[in-house]
Amino acid sequence: MSQVQARFFTENKKYLIDDVPFSIPAASEVTDLSAVINKLLEAKNGHESVQLCVVCVCLQEDVVEIEYVEKFTAPQPEECIMHDDWISSVEADSEWILTGSYDKTARIWSMEGKAVMTVAGHTDVVKDVAWVKRDGLSSLLLSASLDQTIMLWEWNSERNKVKARHCCRGHAGSVDTVAVDPTRTKFCSGSWDKMLKIWSAESNEMMPRKKQKTEQMGLTRTPLMTFSGHNEAVSSVLWMDAEELCSASWDHTIRLWDAETGGQKNAITGSKVFNCISYSPLCRRLASGTTDRHVRLWDPRSKDGSLVLLSLTSHNGWVTAVRWSPSHEHQLVSGSLDNVVKLWDTRSCKAPLYDLAAHEDKVMCVDWTENGLILSGGADNKLYTYRYSACVSDAGA
Amino acid sequence: MICSMFSTMFLWFSGNTHTGKKMYISLLVFITFSVRSQDIRNTVGNIPMEWYKDYPHIGYDLEGKKIFKPIRNKDELDEFLDKMENPDYWRTVQDKMTGADIRLSDEQVDLVHRLQQGKFGDVNFNEYEPAIDFFSNEVMIHPVTNRPQDKRSFIPSLIEKEKVGKLVHAIKMGWIKPRRPKETTPQYYDLWAKEDPNSILGRHKMHVPAPKMKLPGHEESYNPPPEYLLSEEERLAWEQQDPEYRKLSFLPQKFACLRAVPAYSRFIHEQFERCLDLYLCPRQRKMRVNVNPEDLIPKLPKPKDLQPFPTTQSLVYRGHSSLVRSISISPSGQWLVSGSDDCTVRFWEVSTARCLKTVEVGGAVKGVAWNPNPSICLVAVSYDDTVVLLNPGLGDRLVCTATDQLISSYEEPEEVMDQSVQWAVAEGEGHEQGHRLILKHPKAVRQVTWHGKGDYLACVMPDNGSSLQVVIHQVSKRRTQNPFRKNKGLVQCVSFHPIRPYFFVATQRYVRVYNLIKQELTKKLMANCKWISSMAIHPGGDNVICGSYDCRLAWFDLDLSTKPYKVLRHHKKALRSVAYHRHYPLFASGSDDGSVIVCHGMVYNDLLQNPLIVPVKVLKGHTITHDLGVLDVTFHPTQPWVFSSGADGTVRLFT
Repeated sequence: MSQVQARFFTENKKYLIDDVPFSIPAASEVTDLSAVINKLLEAKNGHESVQLCVVCVCLQEDVVEIEYVEKFTAPQPEECIMHDDWISSVEADSEWILTGSYDKTARIWSMEGKAVMTVAGHTDVVKDVAWVKRDGLSSLLLSASLDQTIMLWEWNSERNKVKARHCCRGHAGSVDTVAVDPTRTKFCSGSWDKMLKIWSAESNEMMPRKKQKTEQMGLTRTPLMTFSGHNEAVSSVLWMDAEELCSASWDHTIRLWDAETGGQKNAITGSKVFNCISYSPLCRRLASGTTDRHVRLWDPRSKDGSLVLLSLTSHNGWVTAVRWSPSHEHQLVSGSLDNVVKLWDTRSCKAPLYDLAAHEDKVMCVDWTENGLILSGGADNKLYTYRYSACVSDAGA
Repeated sequence: MICSMFSTMFLWFSGNTHTGKKMYISLLVFITFSVRSQDIRNTVGNIPMEWYKDYPHIGYDLEGKKIFKPIRNKDELDEFLDKMENPDYWRTVQDKMTGADIRLSDEQVDLVHRLQQGKFGDVNFNEYEPAIDFFSNEVMIHPVTNRPQDKRSFIPSLIEKEKVGKLVHAIKMGWIKPRRPKETTPQYYDLWAKEDPNSILGRHKMHVPAPKMKLPGHEESYNPPPEYLLSEEERLAWEQQDPEYRKLSFLPQKFACLRAVPAYSRFIHEQFERCLDLYLCPRQRKMRVNVNPEDLIPKLPKPKDLQPFPTTQSLVYRGHSSLVRSISISPSGQWLVSGSDDCTVRFWEVSTARCLKTVEVGGAVKGVAWNPNPSICLVAVSYDDTVVLLNPGLGDRLVCTATDQLISSYEEPEEVMDQSVQWAVAEGEGHEQGHRLILKHPKAVRQVTWHGKGDYLACVMPDNGSSLQVVIHQVSKRRTQNPFRKNKGLVQCVSFHPIRPYFFVATQRYVRVYNLIKQELTKKLMANCKWISSMAIHPGGDNVICGSYDCRLAWFDLDLSTKPYKVLRHHKKALRSVAYHRHYPLFASGSDDGSVIVCHGMVYNDLLQNPLIVPVKVLKGHTITHDLGVLDVTFHPTQPWVFSSGADGTVRLFT
């Protein structure tokens, strides 16, 4: 059997092996190569076995250069959490899942799909939810609603009590989106009234003044800052970093704002209504879902404003939700009105990696947590969770 | 001795008359100085003498001594005096070589004269001496020269050899083809090769000969064979037959002899008919002009260049259980209201197709209209003979409460006017559902439409026999007016002008435009169709589209004419609804064939440029139920999106 000279390399520091050429049989396949690399890793690091796959092979002089990456398995469906009504938004952290629903409540669920808490208080549909922070057992969370308010709640997970801390009033339209800044002290909201407002996210337990009603709604809070500039409803807002805000709107633009001064820094003009945006600090790209069927990637730093880096086209309806992977710089997930959630790798823009076709109605929201959980909620009142992570191979494989 | 030498020289030069003159001059100099003094001959040669201009000498003599220039102190005046006084001045020349003046002798002057006249210098030379022919045409016995022939005339020529060699090489290489065979076939020019065969045939085809007479047969004979003679029944049948359908125009008869044959009674008649045949027969074939049908289609821009316009179905708003007659969108574009035959009005969130509110009313909803004023949140709903003003409570809370306050702040006027419409404030359960004002009409209300400011509301009650077909309500004062005293036909729909105080009323055949301030008829548009079903006014106010039940859509340019500027017949069945977009140059029409056709309708500010109308997209999605397809279309106020409601109980959004 003929032998070829091969050199293995990877960009992942965790699985680095020595840069020396090996002689391997020419008929080797992916599993053989994986076994070779695993052996090498084992020799180097001790007992650490991981399934790897070969991504790219290039021939240089007479040595075959083989790049290998961690192999991901298909997302495994874990839970299906039933709601009473459409799910408008979802945000999960490492322990709890927070969902906003059209039944005017926000709900907290455990990772196993157990209903923990129902946060009721809004007089209209909850459009967006967000976790603010957690110190010990008490957490702060936000819910934005069609009734033009944003509520800041404090939830004690031990006693399982939720209390409305503040009711943020000021918007003259339904509040469609909220985003908490990286320092966890402020948050920004975007509304149908074309405004962006920044509010304080501190929960100060000041004694209420005489006149204010506190029993139900909490203290009324007014915005710290208001950004106007969009000509249409703001559909999505996010923080690029502590000083920079990014907002997408129905007026076909994505605008970048300076959160300190309130000035507009840059505007990206598209051709369709933007439904949602997501930003990945790993690859510094914006992903946008629009009312056509494309997921587009943008470079927010480019000055000329309208640079589409990539279009990911596979959906058949409006893209309603898009979310970058928090841990992987190439992967994102998108949900659409065609009932399908798709997992993309930007290196293969022609087709998605996986189609998650579990929903029976419109997908309204998706999320991706740090520990590799993909969540999607839709108009079929179901919240699906999927486990998506690097698969650890069985011993001896 | 010198002179004789010159004479031979002259003889030598005399043949060359052109160069003669120059020679004389240089010879003249030579002659003079050679005559005067042999000893001071200049040895510098034939050089330009101005080289010695700045020296005191002018050259060197034979001994090598300098020849000095003669002292010259003559100025112009001296020269002139010399010219005047010296009788020999004319024959004095300067010797260039020595600079000395020389006076020419008589012989020399004579020589110059002779040379100037072109004569020989030698006086004694006779130029007319008898000629002796050396060569003549007569062959002489002896050759002129007795030279033996050259050697080269006996040996082959090298030059020729070289030339032949070159030719042979060229033949070998094929550059020259010796003895090419002559083409024996004669060359003819085909005179008719290029002529179009059809044209020459066509010329022959064009010829239509006159119709020929039928040749006489046996039956025309005076003594026909008995089988040609008609029997009694045949004769009767012939007589009963219409003369036009007879096979024979005469009865064959048998005579004993030619003498017995009488005069033919139909002779004149037949001759006349023959003349008519000749006169009326076609003599020329008329060729039709060949027109490419492609050329007749007007040049329109491609739909691709006219984007944005709705192309795909994006959302379906499901919930109604019966046909959705009417839809309307909130001025912000966030909400959509639809009225259906299942006696409900539903409010939808546009972006998610979520039904946020369902309001039940007491009958099949015929029309809904959202108040176009963004600071008022009211929806007019018509069912049976009632118009209800609903406050849906959607959008800005402040606006909703302000609207409620506006309605409740109404104060009853002191004198109560006698009105044909009863106004009532909704109470109880209806109020909780959102009903605010209830207007009871005397007849069934088919259409409701708001004025752009949101205070006036026009209702249509079609009725052929009454003058009360259109009423205009003023909501803030709860007043009702009947603008028309006369019945001018069955009113189909009405609309307010978006900017100016005009009011459009569409009856079956005509659209009448009334000026509401002057209270007079301004214009009457003739739609050229059988039955108008719907009408929409361009947001600029100068263009109107009308849909009709006979599948037509007529575009009127009010500045241009009262006839349609363009009639589009793209739908297969009756049109039910037409709509303009508020910002984009788009209009749409919905039809019973289940399709919505979106057209690009660009109106230019330039008065001289006519509107550009290009159909861009056929949108299908509605299923046809009970022979009804799309019942209403409306555009989103800010996005290039179109909503359509259908008989299948759905509302669809196309983006």
